[in-house]
Amino acid sequence: MLVELSDAVFGYGGRAVVHVGALGLDTGRCLGVFGPNGAGKTTLIRGVTGLLAPMYGGVWQHEGVRFGYLPQHRALELHWPMTAFDAAAMATSARKPFGWVGGAAHRVTKSMERLGVADLSGRAFARLSGGQQQRLLLAGALASEPTVLVLDEPTDGLDVQSRRTLLDLLRDLTAEGLSTVVISHEVEDLLLLCHDIAWLHLGEGPGRPSEVELIRPDGLAERMLHARRPA
Amino acid sequence: MKSAAAYALVLLLLASCIACAAAPATAPLDRGTQDALNEIDASTGPLAATRPVATAGGEESSPELRWRDLVRLFFPALATAAAVGVSASVVGTFVLLRREGLMALALPQVVAVGAAVGMRLGWPTLPPALVCAGVAAVYFALSKRWGAGNWILPSFYVAGMSLSFLVIAGSGQHVADLQNVFTGIDVAVSVGRAKLAVPVLLALALCAAVLWRRWLLIAQAPAAAELAGLHPARWDVLFLVLLAVVLLLGTDSLGVVMVLAMLFLPGAAVLPWARRIPAALAGAAVVSLVMLAIGFYLSNRLSWPLSHSVGGVGFVVLAVSHLLATVRG
Repeated sequence: MLVELSDAVFGYGGRAVVHVGALGLDTGRCLGVFGPNGAGKTTLIRGVTGLLAPMYGGVWQHEGVRFGYLPQHRALELHWPMTAFDAAAMATSARKPFGWVGGAAHRVTKSMERLGVADLSGRAFARLSGGQQQRLLLAGALASEPTVLVLDEPTDGLDVQSRRTLLDLLRDLTAEGLSTVVISHEVEDLLLLCHDIAWLHLGEGPGRPSEVELIRPDGLAERMLHARRPA
Repeated sequence: MKSAAAYALVLLLLASCIACAAAPATAPLDRGTQDALNEIDASTGPLAATRPVATAGGEESSPELRWRDLVRLFFPALATAAAVGVSASVVGTFVLLRREGLMALALPQVVAVGAAVGMRLGWPTLPPALVCAGVAAVYFALSKRWGAGNWILPSFYVAGMSLSFLVIAGSGQHVADLQNVFTGIDVAVSVGRAKLAVPVLLALALCAAVLWRRWLLIAQAPAAAELAGLHPARWDVLFLVLLAVVLLLGTDSLGVVMVLAMLFLPGAAVLPWARRIPAALAGAAVVSLVMLAIGFYLSNRLSWPLSHSVGGVGFVVLAVSHLLATVRG
């Protein structure tokens, strides 16, 4: 296991936000995170990645686990003047002193070539389509050589074709051994990508933390169908 | 919308030109310029035999020599202004990109409170201004974290303007000195101050520029930065410190108008044209130096205060840049 959580509670300032009974992430597996707004998805991710220490319980990380992050392309501030390469190099620059990419630039370029966006390198990032932007950011995140990649609503705002392309890419990467954590409201994305899904249920009663239920994708599909089926 | 903005800019430019043309050609020289010219006159004795001098018949002295003398005399102020231009334009480009203009407007007002305390107590103005800038920077950083920046910053702007004059009220010459800090009408910098300010300002500009990928990352993907072991909040504080020191040294040396002109106008003029951040930074630094050169020339030709002259030139550059950018589409 790369990451394992056991009966862990995460929260802020003494207030418990989310409780996890048992949760694990292994090599080449995809964990989906699903739940309503305010249920504590971000808090759970901060706990899984080690950015937030548990209030109670245990979090165990395999030595040398390296987390990467794919931001939403729509969350980027496009008034910053940057080329496609600059955007892709952001993740790599995070692990370099003073942000100097230097010799690691070739890794970014290779990653861009692999995802078929190398020809966009010198283009203004803001003028690219949503699908191109998201593939560039994914290339950048992969260039930082993570063992676990966290994806925040990866297909949000993409057209059908771009979405299909991105999901295929992510499935290939997982098949090659990359572990991923996907936060999404899109049930279809979770069904296509994930091996396990952490479903957050809002706590019952004031002050109660959200509870994480670990289910298989077919269980999620069944329950979503059941919820939508007319009485 | 863009066309409306372009028309507005044209109107503003026309209004500025009309206002400048209507200004009296024989406006009285400001104190600094008058002193400087008196000094030049006094120091040109030995040169008088070797170059033409002004005569009652209206013959002009050699313009090159006159400008060389002016530059030599104003050299500490010009060197400091150039350093302020380079550092403020580099930091200011990031201020615009990070949408922290309000903070940059509020800080000099707070710095002026420290300067007023220094004047009132007969101390050097820099240390109390530094204390005020430090306290304000910490408070601004905290208010940003609380999400209260939109309320706090305008309040500090007004409070700074009011308190600085209340601190100094009724103490004669100091009131004029403080007004000078705000307006920058008299730009006079001692050699000692220039020796302190120039290297520090250039070092700050270099620091802000080489960290451009870091500022980009913190603004665009703070979660990725955190996962890589960085602390976005600490980088935000570092940026605030860079900004505060540039504003502090610039305001204390040249006044608020010059610093704010250099902070906002060069960056705003080049951003519509820049495809990459390094290009924007280099362009902004060049524009700031052009603003200073033309501003200095106009200031001496037309007896305008240097800071306002630089600010006016900066606005024209900005307006032309945006007009051309609008035309280009």
